[in-house]
Parts: sequence; C-alpha cells; structure tokens
Amino acid sequence: MENENKVIGTSMNYEELSPELFKKSNVDNSTLHDQAFETKPISFLKGAMIRFAKNKASIVAAIIIAFIVLFALIVPLVSPTTYVDKVEYPTGFRDAKFSYALPYNPMFEGSGFWDGTEVKKGCSKKDVDFYTYDDSNHKPLIKIVGEKEHVVGASRYKSYDLKIDSYAVGCKSVFINEEEYQKLVSYEQEKGIAKTDKSIMKPLRDYHKYLEDYEQELRDTREELENQGIKTNLNDTSIPAIIDYLKTYYNQSTRIWYKLAASVSNNSYSQNSFVMARDASGNPQDIYKRDAGGNLVYAEKTNGLYEIRVDYYDYFEFHNGFAPRFVFGTNSSGQDIFLRLALGARFSLLLGVGISFINFIIGLIWGAISGYYGGTADLVMERVTDIISCIPSIIILTICSIQFLNNGALKAAVGEAGISVLAFLVAFVYSGWIGVAGTTRMQFYRFKGQEYVLASRTLGAKDSRLIFRHILPNAAGTLVTSSVLMIPGVIFSESSLSYLGIIDFNTSGLCSIGSLLNDGQAAGLKEHPHVLLFPCIVISLLMISFNLFGNGLRDAFNTTLRGSED
Amino acid sequence: MKKEKEELKGAPTISAGPTTNSVSNGTSNEAVIEADKKPSFLKRFWKGFLNFFHELGKNEMFRYVIKRLLLLVFTFVIIFLICFVLVRLLPVDANTGMNDPQVFYNKMVAQGRYIAVINEDGTKTYMPTPILQQLWTFIANLFSGGDHPWGYSYKIAWLQSPVEILTSHLTPTILINVYTMVIAVPLGLGLGIFMALRKNHWEDHFLSVLIMLVISVPSFVYAFLLQYNFGYVWQTLPPMAESASVGYFSPEYFRSIILPILSMSFGSIAGYARYTRAELTEVLTSDFMLLARTKGLSRAQATVRHAFRNSLVPIFPMILGELISILSGSMIIENIFRVNGVGGLYLDSIQKLDYDVFQFVSMFYILIGLIGTLVVDLSYGIVDPRIRMGGKK
Repeated sequence: MENENKVIGTSMNYEELSPELFKKSNVDNSTLHDQAFETKPISFLKGAMIRFAKNKASIVAAIIIAFIVLFALIVPLVSPTTYVDKVEYPTGFRDAKFSYALPYNPMFEGSGFWDGTEVKKGCSKKDVDFYTYDDSNHKPLIKIVGEKEHVVGASRYKSYDLKIDSYAVGCKSVFINEEEYQKLVSYEQEKGIAKTDKSIMKPLRDYHKYLEDYEQELRDTREELENQGIKTNLNDTSIPAIIDYLKTYYNQSTRIWYKLAASVSNNSYSQNSFVMARDASGNPQDIYKRDAGGNLVYAEKTNGLYEIRVDYYDYFEFHNGFAPRFVFGTNSSGQDIFLRLALGARFSLLLGVGISFINFIIGLIWGAISGYYGGTADLVMERVTDIISCIPSIIILTICSIQFLNNGALKAAVGEAGISVLAFLVAFVYSGWIGVAGTTRMQFYRFKGQEYVLASRTLGAKDSRLIFRHILPNAAGTLVTSSVLMIPGVIFSESSLSYLGIIDFNTSGLCSIGSLLNDGQAAGLKEHPHVLLFPCIVISLLMISFNLFGNGLRDAFNTTLRGSED
Repeated sequence: MKKEKEELKGAPTISAGPTTNSVSNGTSNEAVIEADKKPSFLKRFWKGFLNFFHELGKNEMFRYVIKRLLLLVFTFVIIFLICFVLVRLLPVDANTGMNDPQVFYNKMVAQGRYIAVINEDGTKTYMPTPILQQLWTFIANLFSGGDHPWGYSYKIAWLQSPVEILTSHLTPTILINVYTMVIAVPLGLGLGIFMALRKNHWEDHFLSVLIMLVISVPSFVYAFLLQYNFGYVWQTLPPMAESASVGYFSPEYFRSIILPILSMSFGSIAGYARYTRAELTEVLTSDFMLLARTKGLSRAQATVRHAFRNSLVPIFPMILGELISILSGSMIIENIFRVNGVGGLYLDSIQKLDYDVFQFVSMFYILIGLIGTLVVDLSYGIVDPRIRMGGKK
C-alpha cells in the first residue's frame, strides 16, 4: 500500500490526470458480483461444537455419561433377573438365600478378587467342619488360608482363616407342586444326574428319628455318669432343652445332614453349642431318611406338595433358567445390585433431568419477565426469590412428605411411590429455579438495551416476540450450561437425602442411587462393603463427568473464546 | 424523648453549682455564667454523640450496614412466619407425648396450641387452636419471657427445651468444623499459591486435574473410604466418633474425630486451592506486578506483598463466611461417623418428627445462612475499600 502511494505520489501530478490512465474494469458490461466465499460459514452451534470437541476431558466425560445412560437403559432389558416369574417375585427379583452374595466376575475366577469369595478370619474348628462337610454340589470351603494358635490360660485353641465361596449356599428344603416336581425329575434324568453325587435333589433328613435316639443316648449317659458318681448338668430339664434347641437348629439349617451332639467340657453339656458327632474313623454320620428297603428318600408328598431338599445353587439354575451369579453381588434381601444400580441410575438421571428441565422452564420465564421489564416488577420479584432461597429445601421436603403422606386422597391418586417422588419434586422445584432465573435476568439486562432489540421494537415487535425471538436465543448457551450443571446437583442431593432416610424410595418399590446407598448403610460398611462400593463408584463417576461436561459446554458456548481454539 | 431526659439530668448540676460550692463562691459564679454561655459537658457530650450518628448516617457504608441488618431481620421474620405456619400445620404424630399424655396435653394447653374442651361426662377432649392464635400466643410468650417459648422436645429428650438441646449439640460440631478449617485454609491457600506460581507446569496440570476430581466426588464417598480403610481394615483410627462421656476436649475424642475432619477437609482444601489459584493467576498478570518488579522487588517479595494480598480480597470473605457456618454441622458426615452434633440433631428431629426441635434447628440454620451471606457481603467492602457496598452505578 505504502509502496504504491509512493510510486504514484512521486511520479504523477494528481491535478492533471490523463484519461488514458483509467481503464474500464467491467469490459463486457456484465453485472459485477462479489466473490463467493470458498469457506463455509460457521454457525453459532457449529462453533460451539468445534470448541467442545477440542476439550478432551469433556469428550471423555460425555462418553462416560453416555455409557452410564446406556448401562441404565440396557441392563434392565437384558438382565435375566428382570424376567423372573412375576407371581413368585411380585416386587422384583430377590432371594434371601443369596443375601450378601459377593461380587462375582467370571474373568477373575479363582483369583481371590471379585470372584465371589471372601476370606473369613478367626474361624473356629466348628466353622471348618460346617464348611467342609457340606453335601451340596458346590463346596463352600475353597481352602484354609491360615491357622493361628491361641493360648488362653491353660486352654489352647486354634483359629483358622477360611476362603469361602459366598455362592455355595448349600441345601434348602423346598415345597413344590406335582407339575414342578415332574419337571425336576425329568430334568435330572435328562442330565443323567438323578440320585448321584451331582443330583439337584438331595436325600431328605430324618432328624426327628435321630433326636429321639440322641435323647435316649443322653439319658443313658446321665445314668451312667451318675452311677459313677460324676456330676453333670444333665437332668430332666436340660435334656429336653438340648433336644429342643437341636430341633430348631436342624429345622433352620437345612445344610446340616449329619449328626450333631452337644459340646461337652468337664462333663458339662452345652445347651446351645453343638459339634459334629463323628464315627470311629472320624467321619460324619448322616441322618438321611431311608425307606423300609434302606434306600434313600428324595421326596415326600404331603397335602399335594412335594417336600424336597435341593442343592439350592443348581435348583435355582433349573428353576429360574440362569445361574445365580451377580456381577456386583447382592444386598441384604438378595436383590441383584447390578440390576438395581441400573434401575437406580435410570431413576436418578430421570429425576435429575426432569427436575432440571422444570426448573429451567420456570426460571426462564421468571428471569425473563424480571429482567426484561425491570423496575418495580424486578424489585418485587427479586425480594420474592430472596425469601424463597433462604428456606432450605430440606425443610420443604420434610414438610411436604409428612403432609402428603397424611393426605389420603393424594395417596390414593398417586400411590406411595408417587408421594415420595412428588414431595421430592416439590422440594427441589421450590427453590431450584432461582439459579436459572438469576442467570436469565442477567442475560436479559445484558441484551435488552442493544441496538438490534431497539430496531425490532421500532418495527413494532411485541414484548413476547422480543423476549422469545430476539433476546432468548442469544442467552441460550449460558442458560443451557447452567441447567446441565444443575443435574449433578439434583442427583447429589437426592442421594444424600435418600442415604439419610429423609426420603424413602425403597419401601415404595422404586430405587435410586441414594436408596442403594441406604442399603449399603443398612448392610454395614464393615461387614458388607460391596453393597456400598458400587453405588459410590457410579455416583462419583456421574458427578465428575457431569461437572467436566458442563464446564466443557460452558467454554463451548462462550463466544469470547472464539479463535483461541487454534 | 431521651434527649429531654438528658437535659433534665443536666439541669440540676447547673443549679446545684452555687448552693453546694458555697465555699468558693467566686469561682462558682463564674461557672454559672459560663454554664449560661456554654452548654454543659453532658449537653455537649450528647450533642457530639448525636453529631457522631448524624455524621455516621451520612456515611454510606454505615447506612448500608444498617439497611442490610434491617433487611436481614425483615427477611428472617417473614421466613420464620412461613416456617411457623407450615410446621404448625403438620399433623401431630399419634404417639407424640404418649409416654405421659397428661403432661403433654397440659404443656400444649399452656402454650396455647390446644384447648381443653370438657365433655358432658367430665372427661377432657383436646382440640388444636387456630394457627393464627397459636402464632399470637407464641409471640406473646417470646416477648414476655414466658416459660419455654420455643416449645418442648417430646421425642428426642422428654420435655427439654429445644434451645438446651441445640446448645448441648453445638460443641462437637464446632470442634469438627474448626479443626477442618484449621487444616483446610492453610493447605488450600498454600496449594493454590503453589499452583498459581507453577502455572502451566506439570505440577499445576496434575493438581488441577486432582482438584477437579476431588471437588466433584461427594464428601460421603471419602467418608466411606476413610472409615472402611482406617477404621475397619487397618484399624488405626476409631471408625466412629466417641460419645460425649469421654469429654469433647480429651485426646480420645480428638482421635475419634480425625476421620470426619479429614473427609470434610478434602473438598474444602480443593475448593480453596482452586479459588486461590484463579485469583492469584489473575493478579500475577496485572500491571502493578510489573511495576513492583521494575522497582526492584524480587519475585518472592512482589508475590507476597502485592499479589497475594490482593488475591485475598475475594478469598477472605469466603473464609469469613465459612467461619460463621462452623455452627451448622454436615448432616451426612455426622450421620456416617455418629457425631453427636447439630447436623445429627437436625436429622434426628426430622426422623422422629419432633416438631419443636425441628422448627428451632431449622430457624438456627436459616439464621446462620442469612448472617453468613451478610458478613460475606459486608466484608468485601472492608477488605477492599475500593468496593463500595450498595453503591449505585
């Protein structure tokens, strides 16, 4: 430029320019056009997308969120525990026999980590017997990891560290109808396992007969000892007490198939502690029921129902059609944590997104009005939000849930689950929109004085048109970001409140991440940490990824960062 | 009216002058003359006093503080009225006060919440009074210094005043929060300063990611992790807080609250560090820092004397706000570690439906929240006089 000027300036006289110097540029008289842009224009959204894609952390976060959403949507569809018999499990799958089963992942089979086994420390010899002599197909005792000898005064005893398979739950008595029984019998025959070591049906026990014998034996012992002049605690009250206790014990522990005897120390017979009665070679003696021919009895029909004693793991597989193995373990009532976590994540996300959406809409309208009109309207509306935001939502939640629960009509209309959700909804919509309203108000103050709004107003645009067509689209980015960042907040509050038991989705059949945390609290962190572990992981992941995602969105919608992406 | 009183008090001293001081008559006469000319000391003092307030009234800052205080009281009263009505509207749980119904009903009648209607057969039926009447009785009780204006606890501690219950739960909460602050503030500020000074180095990047993670993860997750590992697996620290019987200031109690303190500190440290880093990096790039270096200050001098002080402007109010909120306990942490604090009490009152305690503790929390915001807002103006509080555009 400068160069050109110089040339012209030095060599030419401007006042006397000859016409030859000028040339017609448009020689063929065609219309002149601007040159078409070779690059495509970048729209606001596209620019935002480009900026968002530059942010690696947000991309990762978005992928994690997508993964959790897919997990929450797909698992309830494909998990076999969803498709259990609705009549047998009216509130969804649960099996008390498998309560607190540990997480099991087939990839870690036998590694001692995440394979459904645990090491029980400080077990007694009695426990070792209990786990070693089990007549089911799945051996609970994997191995004895360690031994320790204790000396207390004169007596010394050993304690053992046992590695136990938490899925080997042993045998259980079940009552089934004719049809089911025939199915089981034919299933066993098909597999060729009927009445073998691997059979599902195990021989029934006849502990009543054994207890009669044992009672007699105790009486004999008492007589014998009395004759020798040795003092015992056996008498007419303690012997029936022992037998009674044993009877209850046998009745409850269907795993025990061998003879038990009261443990004796110094000729004192314990009334509630029993040891295995061994034969001469140290093996347990069975108490199986035998018919007249001496054959083992596998089923007994009473009142049209068959009583059978089954290996519960195999029976479960036969009965429900899938093996009882749970990737994340089970909770106290034997519910599959994997499925519940998916359901909980689904519900929590739904709640988070739903509440954020409602808050977004309310806040938008409120903020738009107070920001656009300003003046007295703004002043009054601001004071109202001031007061509302000062009352913690926990107070509203408590009051709502108590009021709603006592409202019979409402309870009948929406059900117990509906009441918890409604109370939560009211409490969180009550003050949740204030943030959005504030942001919207600020945005409106920012844009309403600009020239393009004035131009539009001059052309006769109504207030509603100015608000929704001209100002709001400009503020959209900021508002969307603030409402996305609201979602983790709602999920977090929900989980804390459910954990504390202030809202209870559990009893009404719903489950959220918070109610899973509550399960974990009930299970005890010390005894069953796995119940708490997985919900904690999921909620932490959700919080981290939503925050990263929201920050990414904020940067993406921030137009001042345009150009800094290169 | 007050002014008149002062003048009346002032008058006898003038007239008493000549009668009592009869020994030195001359001087007293002069005093009388002087008193006629000049107002007395008290009068002058009072004028000065008024003048002080008059000047103060002109002071924008002072007017602003007063305005905010009045607004706080106003807001609190409105919130209180809303909460009062909402809580009194709650249906009274059937087994409330049932371990001694007569005492319960007598107390309720005394507080104007129930009226006893005598039936034909001489028995009494108790009916709840209208809410507005209850409100009136409550206000009258509160200002006349009546017995237990805040009601009684019927579930948590039989017939104890909510005020007493709350004060008895304050110590552990304050202890835990103070210890948390003592740990979190220096560590957080230190980390933030370190990160700002090492901006865009690997330490800064690493710590930024770490802080992002720490802030996002809910504090109860740390609580569980710490409790499980230190409390149960390694058994180095007690997993639950000790009961009050060991004494709140005993070393055993301190040992038992280490875990809750730690689990509350993490988020706090991360928050302070992030904030400090953001502020300090902004200040470090200001022009006056360049000037300070050109004057010949070393980097350390310039950072400590100029940058750090200026970056404290938004951080200090934050700390101050937290200082106020040491009175309110975290419900979830106190629940996990069984700390006998305010958060635990609040939760207890919600679960047991002990309405009077619930109402009182709620009001306590709201008041702390309001005062906290007020103090934070005001301290901005004190820390940095350039910020004119409530100033118009």
